[in-house]
Amino acid sequence: MRQGDIPRRPGRTTERIRMRTFLVWMSIALAAAAALLVAGCGGTAGKKGGTLTVLSQGDVDSLDPGYQYYQYDYEALSQPAQRTLYGWKPNLRKPSPDFAASMPKLSNGGKTITIKLKSGVRFSPPVNRVATAADVKYAMERDFLPQVANSYAPVYYGDIVGVKAFTDGKAKGISGIQAPNPTTLVIKTTKPVGVLTTANALTLPGTAPVPKEYAQKFDKGKTSTYGQHVVFTGPYMIPNDRSGKITGWTPSKRLELVRNPNWDRKTDYRPAYLERIAFLAGNDLSLATRRILSGNGQISGDFAAPPVADFKLALEHYPSQVSFTPGDSYRSITMNTTVKPFDNVNVRKAVAAVIDRNALVATRGGSRIGPVATHYIPPFLPGFQEAGGSKSPYDYMSQPNGNLALAKRYMRKAGYASGRYNGPSLLMVGDDSAPAKNTGEAVQSQLQQLGFKLNYQQVPHEVANSKFCGVPKQKVAICPNWAWGKDFYDSQSMIDPTFNGKNIVPSNNSNLSELNDPKLNAAMDRAERIPDPAGRAKAWGAIDKAVTGLAVQVPWIWDNDVNLRSKNVKAVTNLFNGTWDVAFTSIK
Amino acid sequence: MTGTVDFAREAPGDEGSALIDVMPDVAARSPFQLFWRRLRTDRVALAAAALIVLLVLMAICAPLIVKLVGARPPNQQSDKYFSLGKVGVPSPTGPSSKNLFGVDPLGRDLFSRVVYGARVSLEIALAATALSVAIGLVVGLFAGYFRGWVDTVLSRLVDVLLAFPILLLGIGIASACSLGHGCLGGLIKPGLGVVILVISFVNWTYIARIVRGQVLSLREREFVEAARSLGASHMRIMFREILPNLVAPLIVYATLIIPQNILFEAALSFLGVGVQPPDPSWGKMIADATDVFDTAWWYMVFPGAALLLTVLAFNLLGDGLQDAINPRASRS
Repeated sequence: MRQGDIPRRPGRTTERIRMRTFLVWMSIALAAAAALLVAGCGGTAGKKGGTLTVLSQGDVDSLDPGYQYYQYDYEALSQPAQRTLYGWKPNLRKPSPDFAASMPKLSNGGKTITIKLKSGVRFSPPVNRVATAADVKYAMERDFLPQVANSYAPVYYGDIVGVKAFTDGKAKGISGIQAPNPTTLVIKTTKPVGVLTTANALTLPGTAPVPKEYAQKFDKGKTSTYGQHVVFTGPYMIPNDRSGKITGWTPSKRLELVRNPNWDRKTDYRPAYLERIAFLAGNDLSLATRRILSGNGQISGDFAAPPVADFKLALEHYPSQVSFTPGDSYRSITMNTTVKPFDNVNVRKAVAAVIDRNALVATRGGSRIGPVATHYIPPFLPGFQEAGGSKSPYDYMSQPNGNLALAKRYMRKAGYASGRYNGPSLLMVGDDSAPAKNTGEAVQSQLQQLGFKLNYQQVPHEVANSKFCGVPKQKVAICPNWAWGKDFYDSQSMIDPTFNGKNIVPSNNSNLSELNDPKLNAAMDRAERIPDPAGRAKAWGAIDKAVTGLAVQVPWIWDNDVNLRSKNVKAVTNLFNGTWDVAFTSIK
Repeated sequence: MTGTVDFAREAPGDEGSALIDVMPDVAARSPFQLFWRRLRTDRVALAAAALIVLLVLMAICAPLIVKLVGARPPNQQSDKYFSLGKVGVPSPTGPSSKNLFGVDPLGRDLFSRVVYGARVSLEIALAATALSVAIGLVVGLFAGYFRGWVDTVLSRLVDVLLAFPILLLGIGIASACSLGHGCLGGLIKPGLGVVILVISFVNWTYIARIVRGQVLSLREREFVEAARSLGASHMRIMFREILPNLVAPLIVYATLIIPQNILFEAALSFLGVGVQPPDPSWGKMIADATDVFDTAWWYMVFPGAALLLTVLAFNLLGDGLQDAINPRASRS
């Protein structure tokens, strides 16, 4: 997933990271270790009842579980209102059975996955009936419908038997997804798929059951309208009318969750203390920060971190109301290898050497926001140590304050006798709001030391990615506000989407550097097929090191998510998502 | 030479007050002398003029001033001047001997940014004013001189432009031209040029109206008829006979437009469609300062004061010039 993917609806601004596609394998060992490491707070009981208000800048992407893939969608809808096959308990870095009754059972060499489901999970009104395996089958099938516009199904579920026949319109359903009885789901794949056998990809919102007889009529036409009529299986639901039409949502303004009368506490690990939850969009970050900290019954929603001045205020006056979770992500400055002079590896190394990463970290609030990055795979993800840990084998990544003399040496090596760039000015496109704006301006002045003249354009966050940085045709030379985060606890999702040549696409591109190195591509394709977690960590760590050796980007922070709460809110963060988990949060 | 002589001979308009000022000595004085005598007595206008001269000097000698004061260059950032406070969050420090006006959130020296900001403000305001005066003058001359359908077309065009909400129009053009590789097929590149273009585009209409009105009356004067009977061409009459008579009012209006343009630039920059980073602009600094006002007051106060003083100086000088050129208008 990445920071600011293409906007699904216009007019949103957020710095939150969006979930993105990629194949993932689990590191059981790491997850277990992590579970021990991380202090959980989900276990302590909260008080039942009360109303919570979540203040956000933007809104959710979609109400349709088949579409949701944005961090904030998880926080506002997927976690509190739907039951996916597997879910993420707040303090675990591995999936737990949710609608499923147990972890998947494998047979046929890992090609057949049998999942037992809970009975007694019921849909919210007006459907009211018990959810069954057939509803999951329909949910996963509709993930492939163009009108649902799911972005990850082909990648994660593409190896399920019968997918091609279904998407070609030759079959009515996917033959490899079977529901022999209401509480058994069988998934057959053409080859073992680690992402399914470990249940990682079965945590995605697209596995939440969808009642076919009710939803089918909404799934017709160019765009599915199921989102406006969605029914829920989780502890909460959006209020609707008798026909099922959603009434509790005003786009870009307000989303409301109330208790789902058909939810049975006995079937769920969520305590669901709260009575009502209101998600308010369109807030100014600075004002929202102050309102949350000094007010009652409020938490932060979609903003990754408050503005620096407010962050300082929060830590000085309300330290107990600020929570940090590792973002499992990096922020970087990207250089486009197809734009001169960044086709020259020594120019790129010079840029990496001159960048004062400590100064960039300061623009986001200093070391409390996260450690200086030296490569791509963040701490807590497998492969971090293999990629070098916090140290770097490269001189140009070893000095967090930058080194002008070293940078000039690399410039001379690149053929610039004076050690300074003297070519035409370069296009740099970044965000127009703080703190990203400050980061961009810091990058600009640091690059000036090497003689780089920039045509630096500040545009709204979503435009920066959807119109410029993510569009190779635009030939943007530098993007100073790039960020990328994990999909799951596997480092393929940190490296492959952003550095594999096969992932360069004309729009919504995430390989911003347009790196297309045949040797690296082949190494990545090999690593994708490695089954064992240790081998994967080693392989992806080595690839990370090799990519860092090409200096196509300058990763500068592995940042934390900062979440805020009012004093009377007993809020719980979810490690997977990095945000508050409202299904575990209560009012004191 | 015709122009000035004509002006003196044909437009003695202010003889009443001039006589009072000139008193017993009845020696012939050129209009400029009369004007200067009146202006000289207006202390406020003189002070404003002095301030403007200082500002212009400051803008021209910005690098020297910054060097003399020992400040860092305006775009040099540094995290040396952050204080970490109790909680380890780097925040900019206020005025000190190292940084007279304090530093901004990127650690840049605010003093040198304010000094260099005068450059940007004046550059844009003067260029935009010159451009809008040039356009407005030509359009006004043609409309007033030819009257008839030329006047109708040009005046309606002016009316249409005046009907636009100019700030919105300015934001629209600026944001269209500030993205990517510019607008009009790359003819207009993002940066200072766009701002100048936008400001002059919305401001020339006022000049055009004023010039048209003046020309309508001037073209009926005897010296114009004399020129016409001598067989002078339209162009010659417009630019050699009428234009010199417009110079004085134009100077006054230009002086009054400059502060408007400075504010317009600040507004565009405040709204994020003006000057591009890292160029320091007072408007942009004020905009950025709103985020951190309660922890870094200096970031808003100094650029704000600079903007206030500059605009005030131009306005006072403009008023003074107007009084000096047309004393009756202001007295009535």
